Amino acid sequence: MKNTEIFSVDEAMLRHIVSKALCDGGDWCDLYFEDSSYFDLLLRDGEVSSGGHHIDYGCGIRVLKGEKTGYAYAESTDINALTDAAAAAAAIASSGNGRRLDFGRQTPSRKAPAEGFYPSMLEWSDCPVSQFVPFLKKIDSEIRRREPRTCKVIAVLSYCISNILMYNSLGELTSDRRPIGSISVQAIFTRNGESCTNNVSRSLRCGAEMICDDVLEDLVGRAISGLDAQFDARRPKGGKMPVVMGAGASGILLHEAMGHAFEADFIRKGQSVFTGRLGQRVCPKGINIVDDGTIAKNRGACNFDDEGVPGQKTYMVTDGILTSFLHDRISAAYFGVEPTGNGRRESFRYNPIPRMRATYMESGSDGSLEDLVASVRKGIYVDQFSNGQVKIGEGDFTFYVKSGRLIENGRLTSPVKDINIIGNGPEALADIRGVASDLRIDESTWTCGKEQSVPVSCGIPSILVGSLTVGGE
Amino acid sequence: MTDSQDLALAREALQIALESGADKARATFSKSEEDLVATLNGEIDKVTHCSDRSLCMALFVDGRYGTFSTNKLDIQSLRKFIGESADIVRMLAPDPCRDLPAPGRCCHDATGGNELGLNDGTREHVTPKMRGDSALKASVFGTRLPSHAPYRIVSEEGEYSDSVYDTILADTNGTVCLHTECSYDYGVEITIESEGERYSGYWWDSSIRRDALDPLSCGEKALFKAAGLIGSRPVESGRYDMVVDTEVASKFVSPLLRALNASAIQQNNSFLMDSLGRKLFPEWMNLADRPRIPGQICSKYFDSEGVATRDSTIIGNGVVSEYFVNTYMAGKLGMEPTIEDATRPVLLPTMKGCGRDALLEKCGRGILVTDFNGGNSNPVTGDFSYGIEGYLFENGKPVHPVSGMLVTGNFLDLWSRFVASADDARTCMSKLIPTLAFSNVDFSG
Repeated sequence: MKNTEIFSVDEAMLRHIVSKALCDGGDWCDLYFEDSSYFDLLLRDGEVSSGGHHIDYGCGIRVLKGEKTGYAYAESTDINALTDAAAAAAAIASSGNGRRLDFGRQTPSRKAPAEGFYPSMLEWSDCPVSQFVPFLKKIDSEIRRREPRTCKVIAVLSYCISNILMYNSLGELTSDRRPIGSISVQAIFTRNGESCTNNVSRSLRCGAEMICDDVLEDLVGRAISGLDAQFDARRPKGGKMPVVMGAGASGILLHEAMGHAFEADFIRKGQSVFTGRLGQRVCPKGINIVDDGTIAKNRGACNFDDEGVPGQKTYMVTDGILTSFLHDRISAAYFGVEPTGNGRRESFRYNPIPRMRATYMESGSDGSLEDLVASVRKGIYVDQFSNGQVKIGEGDFTFYVKSGRLIENGRLTSPVKDINIIGNGPEALADIRGVASDLRIDESTWTCGKEQSVPVSCGIPSILVGSLTVGGE
Repeated sequence: MTDSQDLALAREALQIALESGADKARATFSKSEEDLVATLNGEIDKVTHCSDRSLCMALFVDGRYGTFSTNKLDIQSLRKFIGESADIVRMLAPDPCRDLPAPGRCCHDATGGNELGLNDGTREHVTPKMRGDSALKASVFGTRLPSHAPYRIVSEEGEYSDSVYDTILADTNGTVCLHTECSYDYGVEITIESEGERYSGYWWDSSIRRDALDPLSCGEKALFKAAGLIGSRPVESGRYDMVVDTEVASKFVSPLLRALNASAIQQNNSFLMDSLGRKLFPEWMNLADRPRIPGQICSKYFDSEGVATRDSTIIGNGVVSEYFVNTYMAGKLGMEPTIEDATRPVLLPTMKGCGRDALLEKCGRGILVTDFNGGNSNPVTGDFSYGIEGYLFENGKPVHPVSGMLVTGNFLDLWSRFVASADDARTCMSKLIPTLAFSNVDFSG
């Protein structure tokens, strides 16, 4: 079924709604129709005894007057509901003129690939929910079989299919069908009266073929790995020291501490510490930092962003030089550049804003993780972070380290946990001393929470930062 | 805002569930409206209007259970959705612990929705112009700064919103309860620059009454907070007395509430396992739930199962007095059910009538924490480490701003060092936690 049929609309009706929305003098209007169907199954105490299905349907209408936004939505797509929402969004045009922007030249030169970035060999909708129950039960039984110290296992399998239709005042009509599947596992283990928890997950934009033995093996293996180190881990003595970050999940620090500061709404408003630094060196030569919507199956992949701009790969830092920010249509018009496909939103209930997709640093040429560790006399190695926070204006960040090890005389020694690393984004970028050649994109269920929740992913090769503050005993 | 048609829809959904083979069901109908005006540097930047309706169903079919929600609420779509939902439930494993709460535990005195007086009906008279004017009143951007001000404002973002949220909960045991709550909210974030360094401050306020708010004070307080951080730096690592401002003090109480939830207990994911009836806190520590205070934000007569809320002691004189046990967890743990969570937790003051200054004076020297920046805690061990900002204080007075530091410890150990609580909790917050003081806490930076 075509998406225009799903939403019971045609182009004449869409044109009519847009004209209503612009009747008060708006410069731009776009419509975002969404029909999302979300399923979940939960395993607890060895049984899949809870599940659900959730439907979200509606249309968001945005009107822009210069940089200013009017937004409203309807949970129905009948003409009356849409006309009412259009009138509410149109009101922004009467709130003053402000700076005038030209949205008329925003047809992106880049085209979406015919194949798309969400390859699906097996449609979720062709599979009964019951088909996934054995998969969850096997996760539970395998964790318990392989690790006798297992105390509790909770596993959640969820998937969502979103049918999207976008239309704008340039007359561009865009459709997308977005699948996403996620499995998360929380396992609790006990040893001599002590407990520890491992949380692992995997999330992909593809079909139900992801429910397979390889994914199961990956989740189970990670859920039970490193337990002895976790039990033995202690808080180290704190202070300023070199920090080696492991490949993969450490990329969340790149996302939080640097990526957000590259989002062009913060630049446009003068709030980011990188405001005015385009074209300047922000880190050593040889370092490339990318935000990429074109990695097939990746949680951050976008055939189109939520403004109808085709998915693309954006180099934010090229050979150490800040070369691009991440733009939605507003910031692109403001700075006179093409949108970079970063205009994203949580659902039709939200207006799009610049958001990351898959953010990572490309591999470097400073050898391996072992080489980086060998260059440190006294420092710390971290490989799992949780709950990072950054202050955009200042660039200051704090990240909670879930696991890692001390580095003593060039070797990994005692395991550490429950510490924080604090620093400043621009200073940390400038202080990168080594980048290994082992880039890994992490496929866990990362969700970015800047005003709204959107799926993202992150990655990084192993890197060495010269000095960060480690908070310990 | 909800009307007889909405109640009829919830009842119709229950009937469809029974016709689809459910033994029991609960329907929760939610309806909300929100209007928001955001400002940027003293000008209106965004206007939004939100209007939502949704129905959430809990279905109990052949001893099995599932939860479902939709915003396609025409009867034809609803009938199809509930029928398919019942089929999904049949694919799941039976769970004898799943059940509706016994009717005797449920709320029967929320029949009109506004028993707590949380919706004075004035929102419908608020016009778009009034909203725009209100948003702009909170701005201090462009106002004359003192000539000696050692900073400039880089940016100011403000937000005004008014909203109303209505709920109808009905189940097949005959429980029907209604709730309506209105909210007016302001928030302002200001970033300033001084000698090449940036500092930001945020302030917000909220009330169920529009005329109870002072918008300009939001902008002024946000600016005051940002300016107060100029020159902030870490102080020497070590152990200090810690005073935590009421604005952020829930950071040290919320983990206790989570650890007392039966879901965490049942999963061995709590640092307060086997704590019921044990004295784990100083006897001057009292944490209560006060869910039925008329006119107060977050007051509510019932929880998401329809169970009637009641005043209770969570921690009394240092003794753990209550786990939060919903119907399901009561079955899993073989315990008596209580309530699913604290509705409106209140940490009682030990220094009645006193504010933050009295705690600073009592402690003499230490670190006043006014905000957190990242960090986390371990739910199993209770270990925590948070980034902080605030002030070093000496002789009961702040002497200079502090940032780039961490506070580290374990919640049980921290609370064993609880010195006193002030009497300054903000009633606009969902958790009424006043300024707190602890002795001899580990700071590093």
